[in-house]
Parts: sequence; C-alpha cells; structure tokens
Amino acid sequence: MSLAGTTGILEGVDRGPVVVPRRRPRRRSYLPYALLAPSLLFLGLFTYLPVVRVIVESLYDHPHGTGAVTATFVGLGNYTKVLADPAFRQAALNNLVYALGTLIPTLALALAFALAVQRSSRFSAVLRTVFFFPSLVPLVAAASLFFFIFLPGIGLLDYYLAKIGVSGPNWLGDSDIALWSVIGLTVWKNAGYYMLFYIAGLQNIPRDTIEAALIDGANAWQRLRYVILPALLPTTSFVVVIALINLLTSVDHVIVLTRGGPSNATNLLLYYIFQAAHENFEIGKAAAATLLSVVVLLAISLASMRIMSRGSHHEA
Amino acid sequence: MSAISRLAIGALALSFALPAAAQTKIDFFFPVPVEGKLAREMTRLVKSYNESQKEVEVTAVYTGGYDDTKLKAQAAAKAGKPPAVVLMSANFNVDLKLSGDIQSLEPMLKADGATRDAFLADFWPALHANAMVEGELYSVPFHNSTPLLYYNVDHFKEAGLDPAKPPRTWAELADAAKKLTKRDGDKVERYGFTMPAGYDYLGWLMEALTLSNGGRYFNEEYGGEVYYDTASMLGAARFLEDLIFKHKVMAQGVVEAGGVSTSFFAGKASMMLLSTGSLSFIRENMKAPYEVAFVPKNVRNAVPIGGASLVMFNGQSEDSKKAGWKFIKWLSSADTLGGWSRFTGYFSPRKSAYDTAEMKAFIAKNPDAKVALEQLPYAKPWFATYQTVAVRKALEDEIQAMMNGKKKADELMRPYVEQTALKLPQ
Repeated sequence: MSLAGTTGILEGVDRGPVVVPRRRPRRRSYLPYALLAPSLLFLGLFTYLPVVRVIVESLYDHPHGTGAVTATFVGLGNYTKVLADPAFRQAALNNLVYALGTLIPTLALALAFALAVQRSSRFSAVLRTVFFFPSLVPLVAAASLFFFIFLPGIGLLDYYLAKIGVSGPNWLGDSDIALWSVIGLTVWKNAGYYMLFYIAGLQNIPRDTIEAALIDGANAWQRLRYVILPALLPTTSFVVVIALINLLTSVDHVIVLTRGGPSNATNLLLYYIFQAAHENFEIGKAAAATLLSVVVLLAISLASMRIMSRGSHHEA
Repeated sequence: MSAISRLAIGALALSFALPAAAQTKIDFFFPVPVEGKLAREMTRLVKSYNESQKEVEVTAVYTGGYDDTKLKAQAAAKAGKPPAVVLMSANFNVDLKLSGDIQSLEPMLKADGATRDAFLADFWPALHANAMVEGELYSVPFHNSTPLLYYNVDHFKEAGLDPAKPPRTWAELADAAKKLTKRDGDKVERYGFTMPAGYDYLGWLMEALTLSNGGRYFNEEYGGEVYYDTASMLGAARFLEDLIFKHKVMAQGVVEAGGVSTSFFAGKASMMLLSTGSLSFIRENMKAPYEVAFVPKNVRNAVPIGGASLVMFNGQSEDSKKAGWKFIKWLSSADTLGGWSRFTGYFSPRKSAYDTAEMKAFIAKNPDAKVALEQLPYAKPWFATYQTVAVRKALEDEIQAMMNGKKKADELMRPYVEQTALKLPQ
C-alpha cells in the first residue's frame, strides 16, 4: 500500500470524534495512531485494499489462464457485458424472488415466535430453544440434511406427504419448484435467529403504552396493529437490513443442493459471480457483478436506515 | 465422511511438517468424485509411499470434487504455490494446457530414456487420447470409468424380464423400463429408469447417449468445437424426452447422483446409468441382488471414458519436478493402480494390473467388475474442450430445461451457439 493511502486513512481517523476529543490540548500525540495502527493495517489490507482491487479489476479484461498475464483496459465494458448476460439477469431475478420470498415469511414467523415466547416461563424457554435451534446448524450442514429431506420419492418430506396421500414434486430438480425449496430451507434456518431480535424489541416496548391501549379497550389484534408493530419498526428495519445482507452473501446451500441448477433456476448473484470468476475465468465480469450487487445492497441498507431513524424519532 | 478425512489429512500434514532436511516436499491435490471412503484410502496410500522411501515427502490434500480440484489447483498456482502433482479430471487437460497451467511430461520421459509409445503401451488404448494434448503426453491416467447400466435383479424377475438378458438397445431399454415401472393410479411407485442429471454428470451421460447414437460430442482434434446441435445429439435428447414424457418411466426434472443411487437402493428405481467408479459403493450398500451391463446402444456400442489423470503444474523447481514425477510413477504402477481399482470400482488404466494374482482373485469373486473392462474396447475419449466447464454447462442447462418440460428436444441448443461462440478461440 502506498504511503499516501496510509495517511489518507489516518486523516479519516483524525476527523473522528472518538479518537481525538475536542477538549484535549493542541499538542499532537502519536499514541492513538500507534494504538490504532495494527487494526488499521489489517482493516486496510483485508477490507479496503480488496475493495479497491475489485473496482480496478472490473475495468479490465483479464485473459484466461496463467500463461498470458496482460490485462487490457475496457472501461465499463464488463458492466455492459454483465447487464446483457441472460444468466446474470436470471440470477438477479432469482435473487429478488429469493430475497422477498424468504424475507417476508421469515419476519412473520420470527415475530410470531417472539410473541409466542416473549414471557419468561419454563415452557417458553424450551420453545425458544426449539425455535432457535436451526440457527445453530451451519448452513452447509443444514443443506446436506435437506438434501435427504428433499430426495424425490424417498426423502423425509415425500415420506410424510405419502402418508396423507400426496405425492410430492421433485423438490430440487423441478425448475419451477427448486428455488422455493431453497427458500423453505432458508426460512427454516433463519426465523429463529430473527426471533431473538424481536424478543428484545418486544421487551423494550414500555408496559404503560400497552396498558393504556388495554384500558382504551383495544383487542389483541388492535394492540398488535396500532401499538406493538409501530413500536417494533426500528427492530424490523434493522432485521430487514441484516436479513437482506445475509440473503445476498450466503449461497452455501445452493452450492450443496443444486449448484445453481436446474437450468440456472436456483442461481443467485453470489454464485453467478463465483461461476464467472472460477468456472469461466471472466474475472472482470465477476468484479463488475460484485460491484453491482454491492451497490444494490448499499442502497437498500441506506433506505432502511433512514426508515429506522425516522421510526426512532417517532418513538421519542 | 469428509470431516473425518479432513481431520486425518490435517493430522497427516502436521506430522509431515516435522521431519528431515534432505527430502523434497511436494503437494499432491486429489479429488473424491464419487461416493465412498476414497479420501481415507488415498491418505493411506500416500502415507505408505512416504514410509517406503526417504527422498520425497508427499502432502496429500483433499480438494473436493473434480471441478473444485481444478479451481483450487489453479488458485494455488495463481497464488504462486502450484501443487507439484494433481489428480485431475481427465478432460481438463486441454483447458489446463491452453491456459498454461500444466507442463508436458515429455521431458521426464526423455530423462528416463523412455518413449511415449513405450510408456503408453501398457495403458488401454481408449485412454491415450485424453492423456495427450496436441500430440504430447500431459497426464498419466490413474483411475478410469465408463458409464454402466445397473439393474435390480428382483425387479426384473417380478416384471417377467430375464435378468440374464439386460436391455441391449434403446428400444429394449424403453420396453423394459415400461414393464418395470409400477403405478398406482397417477402416482408412480417405482420408476423403470433413472440417471443423474446434475451438472458435470449430465454432460458425461449425454456424451454416452450421443456416442451410442452414432454421434460425437466434440472435435477430438480441436478443442474449440462441439456438436451440440447435431441430429445425433438431439436424437439422444429426444430419447430421454420420450422416457420422461411419453413413456413416463423416468422421473421428471433433475435428480443428482446421490438421489439416483439412493432410489436404486430403496427399490424406487429399477435401472440406472451410473459410473463404474460407484461400483464398490453400490456393492456395499445394495441389499437386493443387482447386475451391471453395457450402456444400451441405438446405433453402436460406445461410451466415453471418465476418471482422472495425474498432471504436473508449471512453476516447479527442478527438485520438486523430479520428486513429482517419481511419485507419479509410483502411483501409476500396476500394483498401486490395481489396489485402488479394487477399492473403488474404477478400472485400472494399466492392462498389466489385471495380470496380478490379487486382481484375478478379485475379478473371480466380483464378476461385475469385469463388465466395465469388457466395455472398454468400445470406449471413446471424454470431451475435452477449451473452458470445458462453461461449455459443458451450456449443454446441461438445455437438457435440464427439457427434462423439466420447459423445452422440447427439437427446440434445444439455440442459445448454445451464442454462449459457446463467445468462449471458444477462433
């Protein structure tokens, strides 16, 4: 890394309010920098440098293989190539369906779980553990488990469906259903985790607002709709951001279960990027797709944080 | 399985880190492409090699499936630490040579005073094409396979078929599958036929069907040409389409290899196409009696070979080149190959491996191991093109769409021309 880059980062720190409190005398102390240096070094090396490299690589065309090494500058060529690629469009569309299809049931379930177990009792402690359990299973392990649950004709799911006289579809091999099977697995895996946030959120709701609603004669649904849900808005927008990032950045189960198939039906953006980089050796295209998806994520996060801060003002 | 074997390899790698100076230490990447305890056996083999001599210390690294192994080896090479020896899917050689990753083995042969022809003479002729790129030796075959037709003997008897006479043609296969399929109203209790259709496996089996249909998958002489839109390939696709949608003897959609073998074990499928590499796994896990047979033909008996070969990556020091070559020669000796073949079900690429007493006894005891061998004279090279994985996926996506009823066989392959034309060098 160049010296200029290093000082740039240090200047950034200098502006920060935490490191150099205003009431300190003018005398410059190098101690804070020295203390920060190790973390800054690693942050720079492993966080910022790769980001910069991805940006640079997205502007170049990299020839396949180690034999030839010269990359040619192509400007935004990789971006137009990515956007024109039907596989990318399908992956983006799949990711959208996957994100919405996962997010909405996950949040609904998480909230329902949280409402069910918010009071502390021995029974709800057991339930909490049960609901939370899937979050403890690593995604790869969960996917391997679901491989057998989803086996067409003989899997656990089809076994029980057969008992009630239903013959299940080819869960992972049918291009209309495969993505929904992956969504099902993800909801199962994540709902318990977001339940924790909702439990915390519920416990932060002042008792008196709920009691006031009770005195006003609000029934359970009205209390939920007009008191609890608005009060949970900050929690919800936080969970939405976390969940969306999670949905865009983990594809372990796709790799284990379908490798994006059949016919790209379960291909998600991150796996598309992996394929572009490592199966097709189109590093530039992979970098461009990475940046595009990061930009989308950033936009979603910013929008969500704005909602969150509005929500907390409302609460105050 | 893999967690344990990874632990074992980790422990092994640690134990290698300790000793001695004069040794040349080299890395050996190997995949486990089929079900079974192959990683453990490979680790045991490498350990016994390390104990048998003092000059070379090999660290065996388990690197996942075929595609993963290519990826990891190339990533290591890019990072400046190319593995000395890699057990690589036999059809990646062309791609790896074109990208400058692997080295020609001719200099090693020359240093040994051997000629290519003499070296290859003991290997089955069907394997020679995949061992070479542009007329030079680039890899040494290690384990090889062909697809086989596995069938459940009890189901055959039950359906009034003679287990001694497996289907030999596509028509007979469809006919037998119809008799073997068991229905309960609209529901299918048991499918007559199944085969893996996930990425990687599907391309290989499509090559088998296309070859059986008298066609070719790719241009053996030029790594930039595939024959996806030919009558023979589309005919093979149409055959599958008929099995699924017309005769309804094969499940709609894609089933991965694990699902195929499980349904065969569970008696939910009566016949399947699967690699010889799975033979030992099937033998161990199949409760009911089963038999294996040639892949049925339409026009001719022909199957692609599969399996893996040993390659050496570029960028090695002279010492590790020598050490790598020495290790390759040991791994590809008739004794090692024979033992590995008996353990896995892959056939040994060396003819002389079958002359040993152990092998003769083994085949007498397991006659099913002989079928793949008998099919060998009909074997053809495995497709090996520039950017094999991407080019293969173009075909697989189309066939999968057909298996899902999204496209008719006659409409297939339109996008392939656009997709592959971008990738193949002019």
